[in-house]
Amino acid sequence: MNGYNFAYLDEQTKRMIRRGLLKAVAIPGYQVPFGGREMPMPYGWGTGGMQLTASILGEEDVLKVIDQGADDTTNAVSIRAFFERVAGVETTTATADANVIQTRHRIPETPLAAGQILVFQVPIPEPLRFIEPSEEETRMMHALEEYGVMHVKLYEDIARHGHIATTYAYPVKVDGRYVTDPSPIPKFDNPKLHMSEALMLFGAGREKRLYAIPPHTRVESLDFEDHPFEIQEWDAPCALCGARDSFLDEVITDDRGGRMFVCSDTDYCQNRQEEVA
Amino acid sequence: MRWKAFPDPVHDGQRQFRRVLAAMAEPGTLQVAEAPAVPDDAAIGAALWGTLLALCDLETRLWIAPGLEAGGLIDALGFHTGCRVTAAPEEADFALVTPASLSAPAPAFAEGSDAYPDRSTTLLVVLDALAEEGPWRLAGPGIPGTRTLEVGAAAPLMRRLAANRARFPRGLDAILTCGERLAAIPRSTRLEAQALGQPQEDSACMSQ
Repeated sequence: MNGYNFAYLDEQTKRMIRRGLLKAVAIPGYQVPFGGREMPMPYGWGTGGMQLTASILGEEDVLKVIDQGADDTTNAVSIRAFFERVAGVETTTATADANVIQTRHRIPETPLAAGQILVFQVPIPEPLRFIEPSEEETRMMHALEEYGVMHVKLYEDIARHGHIATTYAYPVKVDGRYVTDPSPIPKFDNPKLHMSEALMLFGAGREKRLYAIPPHTRVESLDFEDHPFEIQEWDAPCALCGARDSFLDEVITDDRGGRMFVCSDTDYCQNRQEEVA
Repeated sequence: MRWKAFPDPVHDGQRQFRRVLAAMAEPGTLQVAEAPAVPDDAAIGAALWGTLLALCDLETRLWIAPGLEAGGLIDALGFHTGCRVTAAPEEADFALVTPASLSAPAPAFAEGSDAYPDRSTTLLVVLDALAEEGPWRLAGPGIPGTRTLEVGAAAPLMRRLAANRARFPRGLDAILTCGERLAAIPRSTRLEAQALGQPQEDSACMSQ
């Protein structure tokens, strides 16, 4: 596209983000501050993820963008169109065909492969923020590895509800050191972070932080011995493809209480439907 | 110009960055750079020159160990990247070093702080040999089980990097280069010398 550098960002900004990414990979789970740029869409729509994608993307890359697992929702469609326009890269909806996948709030059901990079859009990168509003304090807590308060929060869940009621953005500990926000993915996806084959990068545009989980890295979801971490389960399989191993969305079908549960990962669901057909 | 820029700075720089990113994400794996050849009297190889072109600009400060500036490197860097050369190792974002330049007295590079461990120097190392399979055992993030690496005579460097673990999250990250080859050892890697095998013949630098 005329008038823009490849992938929208200028080269100096890309280099700044790239240097930050190398530090983020070297210190897994640590939030690296970066000079976030204004992007042509509002904060909260994935400006952090977009800046990371723009900084790593090359002309040979094949890009996939998902929003809550779906390739065909507003956020995914617009970000995919954006990079088609400003970078001219090939795009796909097939998880296995993409080498860069930008995602909002899901990890694809199809296992990721070595060499793939998953870029997460992150609204609030600091897992301790809802407990401690001061950035100065949370930074000191990370420096001192002072994470007791996070367990107190999970314990309060148990005291109040009888179980850990956190269902998304469930805090994890990366390589036994940093407590990290996995972005608002359902806790169903947390086990996919552990020893993944793919490199996972996280970008928060408004908060101007980026962080990373390298492949083959230990990622533990915080829990207690007597209240171990558990993922969501459903009584019925996906109404469209019959999958029992995938994260299901509830879809309201009429105004008389009709509902169905279907895969949130549209690519996974379609592939399964085609296999059956 | 004796020191050449990338033929296509935007895309070649991006490719070189992705190689460095892949090396950093999977410590101990080798990447081969497609970077412009360096002058005959240069002390650094093509992989290192390409990394400098891809990562340095007027926001970065570079410390250069004595001898590595050979062949007019400093002028070339100023022309191609605009990066600043500093004499103070603690101010350096990147440091061009050889293993020998890290022996006593060792330059005091920035290791970051516990609150901001990212404010640390990245070592760009010139090695005599670099190959997969060798006497150094690597484990940690990015490594399924363990990997081993041949780095030639680099004891002062490896001692320095092995000390990273005790100070984590502070520490030094290293991008290792030898001719056109490139690997990385970030501070998250646990390093130890295993029972010494024989250095492999093909590990020596080809392009220097």
